[in-house]
Amino acid sequence: MKQKALYLFVLIALLVSACSGGGAGEPAIVRVGWAGSPDTLNPGMAILTEAYTIFELVYDSMYDLNLDGSFTLSLAESANVSDDGTVWTFKIRDGLKWHDGQPLTAEDIAWTYNLYKDTPEYPYLNGYYTTYFDTIETTDNNEVVLTLTEAIPNIESQLVFLYVLPKHAWEGVDKLEYENTEMVGSGPFKMAEYVQNEFVRLSANKEYFQTPPKVDEVIFQTFENQDALVQAIKTGQVDMVTEMPNTAAESLKAEENIELVVGAPLAPGVTDIIFNQVDPENCPEEGGLCTGHPALRDRNVRLAMAHATDKQKLIDVILLGLGNPGLTLIPDGLGVWYNDSLTDFEFDTAKANQILDDAGYVDADGDGIRDLPDGSRPLNFRLNWPSDSLTAPRMSELLAEMWGAIGISLEPQAVDPDALTAQCCPAFDFDIMIWGWASDPDPSALLYVYTSEAVPTGSSETGYSNPKYDELYAQQQVELNFEARKEIVWEMQKIVHDDVVYIIPFYDANVQAFRTDRFTGWITDQAKVELSDVTSLVVIEPVK
Amino acid sequence: MQITTSPTPAVPSRPASGLLSFWRSFSRSRTGLIGFWMLVIAIFVAVFAPLLAPYERGASTSVQIDDIYQPPSSAHWFGTDDAGQDVLTNFIYGARVSLTVGFFAAFISIVIGGVFGLVAGFFGGRWENFLMRFTDIMLVIPDLPLTVVIVALTKPSLWNIIFVIGILGWTTTARVVRSQTLAVKSRKFVLRARAIGASKFHILVQHILPLVLPILVVQAVLAISLAILNESTLSFIGLGDPSAPSWGQMLNFAFGRGAMSVGAWWALVVPGFGIVWVVLSLTLLGQGLEQVLNPRLDTHHLMAGRPVVQKEAGAKPIQSDVLLEVQNLSIHYVGEGKAPARAVENISFTLREGELIGLVGESGCGKTTLMLALLKLLPSAGQIANGKVFYNGNDLTVMDEEEINKIRWSNISIVFQGAMNALNPVRTVGEQIGEAILKHEPSFPKDKLNARVSELLELVGIASDHREHFPHQYSGGMRQRAMIAMALACNPKVIIADEPTTALDVMIQAQILELLDTLRKKLGLAVIFVTHDLGVVAELCDKVLVMYGGVTAEYAEVDVIYNEPKHPYTQELLKAFPDLTKPKKKLSSIPGYPPRLDNLPAGCRFAPRCPAAFERCHTDEPALHAPQKDHIVGCHLAEASK
Amino acid sequence: MDRTRAILRKAAWSVFTIFFVIILNFFLFRVLPGDPARAGIRDPRLNKDAIEALRVRFGLDKPVINCFETLNPIKVGSCAVNPMETQFFIYIKNLLQGELGYSYHTNRPVVDVLGERLWNTILLIGAGQILAIVFGVAFGIFAAWRARTSIDYMAVGASLVAWSLPTFWLAILLLFWGSTIGLPVAGKATPGMSSYPLLQQWGDIAKHMLLPTLTYTIVYMGEYTLIMRSSLLDVLSEDYILTAKAKGLNTVQILRDHALKNAMLPLVTVIAINLGFTVAGVIQIESVFSWPGLGSAIYEAVVRRDFPMLQGAFLLIAVTVILANLLADLTYTYLDPRVRVE
Repeated sequence: MKQKALYLFVLIALLVSACSGGGAGEPAIVRVGWAGSPDTLNPGMAILTEAYTIFELVYDSMYDLNLDGSFTLSLAESANVSDDGTVWTFKIRDGLKWHDGQPLTAEDIAWTYNLYKDTPEYPYLNGYYTTYFDTIETTDNNEVVLTLTEAIPNIESQLVFLYVLPKHAWEGVDKLEYENTEMVGSGPFKMAEYVQNEFVRLSANKEYFQTPPKVDEVIFQTFENQDALVQAIKTGQVDMVTEMPNTAAESLKAEENIELVVGAPLAPGVTDIIFNQVDPENCPEEGGLCTGHPALRDRNVRLAMAHATDKQKLIDVILLGLGNPGLTLIPDGLGVWYNDSLTDFEFDTAKANQILDDAGYVDADGDGIRDLPDGSRPLNFRLNWPSDSLTAPRMSELLAEMWGAIGISLEPQAVDPDALTAQCCPAFDFDIMIWGWASDPDPSALLYVYTSEAVPTGSSETGYSNPKYDELYAQQQVELNFEARKEIVWEMQKIVHDDVVYIIPFYDANVQAFRTDRFTGWITDQAKVELSDVTSLVVIEPVK
Repeated sequence: MQITTSPTPAVPSRPASGLLSFWRSFSRSRTGLIGFWMLVIAIFVAVFAPLLAPYERGASTSVQIDDIYQPPSSAHWFGTDDAGQDVLTNFIYGARVSLTVGFFAAFISIVIGGVFGLVAGFFGGRWENFLMRFTDIMLVIPDLPLTVVIVALTKPSLWNIIFVIGILGWTTTARVVRSQTLAVKSRKFVLRARAIGASKFHILVQHILPLVLPILVVQAVLAISLAILNESTLSFIGLGDPSAPSWGQMLNFAFGRGAMSVGAWWALVVPGFGIVWVVLSLTLLGQGLEQVLNPRLDTHHLMAGRPVVQKEAGAKPIQSDVLLEVQNLSIHYVGEGKAPARAVENISFTLREGELIGLVGESGCGKTTLMLALLKLLPSAGQIANGKVFYNGNDLTVMDEEEINKIRWSNISIVFQGAMNALNPVRTVGEQIGEAILKHEPSFPKDKLNARVSELLELVGIASDHREHFPHQYSGGMRQRAMIAMALACNPKVIIADEPTTALDVMIQAQILELLDTLRKKLGLAVIFVTHDLGVVAELCDKVLVMYGGVTAEYAEVDVIYNEPKHPYTQELLKAFPDLTKPKKKLSSIPGYPPRLDNLPAGCRFAPRCPAAFERCHTDEPALHAPQKDHIVGCHLAEASK
Repeated sequence: MDRTRAILRKAAWSVFTIFFVIILNFFLFRVLPGDPARAGIRDPRLNKDAIEALRVRFGLDKPVINCFETLNPIKVGSCAVNPMETQFFIYIKNLLQGELGYSYHTNRPVVDVLGERLWNTILLIGAGQILAIVFGVAFGIFAAWRARTSIDYMAVGASLVAWSLPTFWLAILLLFWGSTIGLPVAGKATPGMSSYPLLQQWGDIAKHMLLPTLTYTIVYMGEYTLIMRSSLLDVLSEDYILTAKAKGLNTVQILRDHALKNAMLPLVTVIAINLGFTVAGVIQIESVFSWPGLGSAIYEAVVRRDFPMLQGAFLLIAVTVILANLLADLTYTYLDPRVRVE
């Protein structure tokens, strides 16, 4: 009996010491909390932003994307392009090393680019970023010679996500199934430990050829829900959080040792209200159902609805004020590409009513809802959104009220995301949808969805078709002069804005927070906010 | 998704006879009442939502940023939620959605489960096989992934959710209904109906359904609570209908839109409280309903007993050569809100070594109560209201459990009436006998134990290899004999035998009686033999105590009882007993019924049936008179004949 | 002899049920729309060719079964297709080799993911069930023993309330409370603990496990208390308890030697059946506490519509439940000598 008690006592004592001890670190370890997790560490197969965050820290690419939207050369010390713009020669820096000590040369880069080019299953890296690759070769002078199928203006944004992999580690593996948990890279951080869906531990690469990190370790810890994140930073279990529910912003701001940063996301997304305006004659042959309400093909109707939308109210209620009113699909986070000279349609319900009256949409049967000019159908629109969104239901309630004030009624319905895709495009089996896009640093990707050729492929959700726009799109694809290209892109935005193709309610801001009593030096003065970006993580140091 | 805890209930003895009597028995269950009124409140809130809600439902453009997640205030009693809406309003309307889902989904489950159960139970054969196998399979398939599939296939709308919950919730109901149908099917009135040639459908609807309905009602109540819990879980996982603000949906929004980080506890606590309220009310209601259908005795054998009362101060002197002396023992049964039932009144008798006393009387005259009281084995409602029980000079009535445990079995053992369940079914008979021995003789050598047990079994005519068998492997008569063997295990001085040979055939009975007789002669074993077989009494007993309605009718030596019975009841008893040796005589019986112990007539308890009753018998209780030495008679007539 | 036959028959039935579930599993998840490249994000950089390539990789370009190209929408195809080239056959073949396909989301073999997560869930459920049984039985015994006293009313009342609580709600409340007293709010272990001595690691895990286990225990303890109580009440009013009392055994001896074994029997069945229903509870607890187990894996798979994961998890759970039920059946047969072979 006594023996048992003794064992118990010892066990308890050990447990207590284990609980109170733990992690008192000499090394400077930064703990970052996020509510997601990399889906895979294989850069070719990865889709989620969290994976890309890790890749940014562990790998290098030809260029770096800065927080202000500009690009700087990274692995290459110089880049030269032929006169016709199709042959790029990158001189790679000498003396570069992989985390395992092997030298990093042009060989590796060429091998990586060929890998991405030749693997059609890589969703982004093959599908989008290597589209224009023709051949990739090396020279004896540690140069990479990249030949394109045509001259493009945005080579930087095409290369920035093509993370360079070590040929010697990847040569023998199955490029699709390789989980890459060892992650031999060349970047400022090395992979130390990875437990999927729990955490990623990175240790500093003090021999990094650019600025090596001042801290010793960075740990990204996964939390299943955002509330846990907020609790974690409040109680000091993490030093920085990359996201939070907007509702927590105020209470975190009030905390003594916590500072909040709000700004455009590094990889901005766009929330959009989509109008099905596909022309029945233009209905895609394969899979097109085209059941949209005819009224939405009339610009007047869309214009009236735009005037009846109080975007600031939406921002207030849904984002708690943390966002900017939207214009077009190009978010303000894309910096210079964003056409800020455009004036939005002001919130004016009276004006909206006037527009509809003038256009002949009156309430023919006295039920409070306007009808088509010929009286055959009321302006009753189906409103769908993906069922996993918590903000869309709120938005639909507010829109129902706002548009109800101009005699439009809605049939709201949450739909399973896969079912929604099936409804959307190229089926065009809906009236109005609330959805959103992710974006690329280069505007070309988003601009594509407005083109005519995107209609049958399923990339166009609106069915919008404007030959003038198509022409400009083709132009900007090959315009090598930056200023000229920018003009074209701005012109394109003006066109689609005038045509009220979408209503963009807002651009969601990134809300992040860090503890002021742990680490200092976080980069917070840029237009874009991304504390987990490599720019911050290499310069922060422990608070003395 | 959580499981129902309702056990398989027994068949009610007769169908519910009217709403009023149902309500009366239901309202005796406190839990049921609480649950009922809680549910009524919830339904009231749901029905009158538009009148009760302070605001209109639905997000409004009149909301400002500051209105979001506001703590409770005079304007918003329960604060606001993530869209600035009034939580109280949403809570009230949420009751509608949650209750609607609950009722409709449960309805679907009950209909499916009920039909399956009825068909399986009634038609049996291949139908039953198929349906029950199907039910088993459905039980093991995890609900949630199945729900995801179905919801993903269809729109996430409220009616789809109701449908999904409904078609996944019938399995327990099917099982329960099937058991019930099986039980009812074999009842006599159903067999009769079939014999008459009634159609299957008619039998199902007219005879079986009414008896299955109560079970279904209980199941329905539980199904509603489960449906409400399931819907809230689905909403939490994001599979709910966002345009139908159930309480679960409110929690989904609150949790997903950062209520906790803001400290907006009201957005989390209030909807959850609603769910708990309704589910709890239904659970309590279900428990209450079950009490009505399957009234469980809420007493058991290990409950604390009632204190012993001894009204008469001072003990009567006890006789020294007497083993067991009972003085003026009175036993009452105490019930809530009623006058106590005077089950046994003023009984006295003595027992010497080797004596055999026969205790005779009709069923319900208090014999068993008296026997239990001797060893303080009365149920918790029983109370020794007066009197003493002396064993070897010690008063058993004032002993505590620890002291009397020493006396029990080793000195006085008891053989219960009807040994059907008197032995523990999951332990071998040998073990149980051995347990008695070891309890009172802890130092009994283990290796000799089995031999001793076998010896005891053979004493009562059971082959010793049955020692390792379980009670269900014994026949009824064997079980009775095993009980006797067990009673003898510790060589007691007194055995109380409550109708020990009633279930046995005459040959075995003779064996047992001979055994008792031998033991009496050899070891001085004293026996209290409770019986209504006067033949056995005549053969074996030294003394006889005749009881009627809980009191002494007559107490004397056996010869006196048979040859000079003074109490009219005794005389009638003797007349009623057939005598094989005498010429054929018409069987006589005593007309009337024994008295109800909670509704005793004034005066003599036998008076209503007594052929010799006169006026005084109906007003005064007779005292115990002794017309001669050692002859007690509880009758007014005996007084006169002194 | 009879008993072995009954056991074999029950085992055979379990195998049949597993077969049924396997087939059901296949068709269930083929009837759904679903694309491996969808992660709930709409991205303009994702083009049709890449999606098609992924579909080929996951074998979704093959016909579902003979005569049917796809089941949603129903597209009829050639009935002369080589059966080995159908998704169904490949599914069965993989299953026999112990493969459950590749997760759409993480691109890893489903078996790997499930295997990693399974142990975390077993740890949680194991601890929770043991505590729930221990406390449930203890409280149930007390409540039955002291029936109709205030102890009984309190125990029953508390159990009923515990049973009425939605699991996720209780989890959220406990998370909230736990964070105010310094307990970790997420995960199984503090990242980086793997370099610390084993005992410290276990202590760290124990700290993380506290709240989820507490949630689980409270939810199931109530149920067990109620069942134990009603079962024991039934048993304690049986005649053989009176016999035991008459034999001079004291209360503890009666409870221990006569009552408990009989009273535990219904509980055994319930515990086994519960295993199937535990899934939903575990999903809620794990997702609230970010516990990296099977439950949160399912939750994520649901959110991301990762059908291979859901399919694999579904199968795993169903098989576990079937086996658990079989085990309970056999245990019951072993414990109760009255059970006749049917």
